[in-house]
Amino acid sequence: MHPPFSLIWFFLTAGTSIGLFTFTYLAELLSLFGFDTSLPRNMVVFSVVFSLILVGLGAVGASFHLGHKMRAWKAIKRFHTSWLSREAVFSGAYGFTLLLYGLSYYFGLNAFFIHLFGITTLILGWLSAFSTAMIYASNRFVLEWNTSLTVLYYLNMYLMLGSSAFLATTYHYKPQLVKPFILLTLFFVILGLSFRIAFNIRQFFLKRPTLNEALNLPHNRPIRVLDTGTTTNNYCTEEFYYAKGKEMLSFVIPTFYVVTFLVPIALLSYSLISGNLSYGFYALTYASLVIGSAIERWSFFVEGNHVQNLFYGLYPKEGYTLRKGYMERRKTKISL
Amino acid sequence: MAQFALVIDLNTCVGCHACATNCKEWNTQAAFGPLSDFDPYGKEPHGVWYNRIMTYETGEFPNTQVFHLPKSCLHCQDAPCVPVCPTGASYKREQDGIVLVNYDDCIGCKLCSWSCPYGCREFDEADKVMKKCTLCIDRIYDETLPPEHRKPACVLTCPAKARFFGDIEDPNSEVYKVIKERNGFVLFPDMGTNPANHYLPRTETKVHIDEHILKPDNPLFLEVVQKHYKGG
Repeated sequence: MHPPFSLIWFFLTAGTSIGLFTFTYLAELLSLFGFDTSLPRNMVVFSVVFSLILVGLGAVGASFHLGHKMRAWKAIKRFHTSWLSREAVFSGAYGFTLLLYGLSYYFGLNAFFIHLFGITTLILGWLSAFSTAMIYASNRFVLEWNTSLTVLYYLNMYLMLGSSAFLATTYHYKPQLVKPFILLTLFFVILGLSFRIAFNIRQFFLKRPTLNEALNLPHNRPIRVLDTGTTTNNYCTEEFYYAKGKEMLSFVIPTFYVVTFLVPIALLSYSLISGNLSYGFYALTYASLVIGSAIERWSFFVEGNHVQNLFYGLYPKEGYTLRKGYMERRKTKISL
Repeated sequence: MAQFALVIDLNTCVGCHACATNCKEWNTQAAFGPLSDFDPYGKEPHGVWYNRIMTYETGEFPNTQVFHLPKSCLHCQDAPCVPVCPTGASYKREQDGIVLVNYDDCIGCKLCSWSCPYGCREFDEADKVMKKCTLCIDRIYDETLPPEHRKPACVLTCPAKARFFGDIEDPNSEVYKVIKERNGFVLFPDMGTNPANHYLPRTETKVHIDEHILKPDNPLFLEVVQKHYKGG
């Protein structure tokens, strides 16, 4: 699939926004139960304003993916069937309640209302994240995406971005939370690494459809594409098959594994073990996670193979082959 | 409930692209047009087509067969492209089962094309909306046209008469009969889309001549020999 940069931008901005707000608000919420997690006023205001700006920038950026930006509001009409519609509704509502939370906190409204807006924002933010992940996970024609791992990794990505952003922020405002958040960020990054490895390994075991199945022909009939009817690429071959990206995958996949997972793990482990609680480590961790996640999301799109590519002979090779008198299913070949 | 569809005979389709050309010619100027083209006379011409013809080869040399597969929107009975549309611009008509796009509501998010396993929806970069085969809905209901012309442009133009159009749910229709009699099949049956467009499979045609016809005392012998060995 062709990676749209506007969506990658949205994932990173919304991810940091929702993730950062989650940890900021949870710290505030836990202080109600007697934990020493109450944050300085400046930090809450900074986190909320930063989250608001990011979700606003994300929404503007994501609209560049649309053909008609001014009609984007119409995306609320099919809430009952479309995950994209749900994402639009929940993201918009998240931004609105986040603003209400920020205003009520800033003007020192009744604590009940502050927490009411806070919990509502938290729930809407995660519903928005879940809806975004389900747009991809529910697409049964891109088998690589059609798994719960897509959702798990995606939600965990928000937690990785959020906890690392919180870590870099809390360093300045409440240093007591630095060590717990180093551990928390490490946990989410390692969890993300395991989800991503599982996502990649799963691709080798997918039972992929064949051109014979697409054309409803017997499995044992050899078939090949002679001509696709056009002399150049068309919408289908460009949107569903990114040839340049496929060539770069063997380089990009190891790169994002290093930048998204290994670099943050190394930085945080060093900081934790050596006791060197320097700000540079946390700023670098967040930067590495943002850059790595951008490359990882790009790769997520390029790794996806749409079944319509079968008609063009652009789908990963798999099928049946006649060997020693019986039909044997060929193994999937994926270029890494 | 009616379900209009195309039935394409792969036995007679010669892959001449006339259906695609006439589709483009009609639809680019009709109610659902234009089908924008970019760099049409340059090195990299590309544009929107409702109908594309693929050519495949089956079998192993020397026993191979080539067949052509014209592929346009299959107007699936469980169309997966419809529920994913966030605005409801993509819809399936109840009265005839035709899947259409309302260009005024389409925001151009391309999600419907991601949800089509057949690659039958194409994004128009000029109009910024998703376009697809309409089964020439502006022809088939046009009462100003003579009744025999109220058919999709591709069906009317096919020189091999390989394309049929009608209601596949109506037992009296031509398409219903050809699907039943000639084992019409659909593309990607496992995808749960239940496509309305059907294809008629290729069949081998053999001439069977009884032995007694080839005996020299058969008065027709000379005529048979002349017919079969004409020109050589």
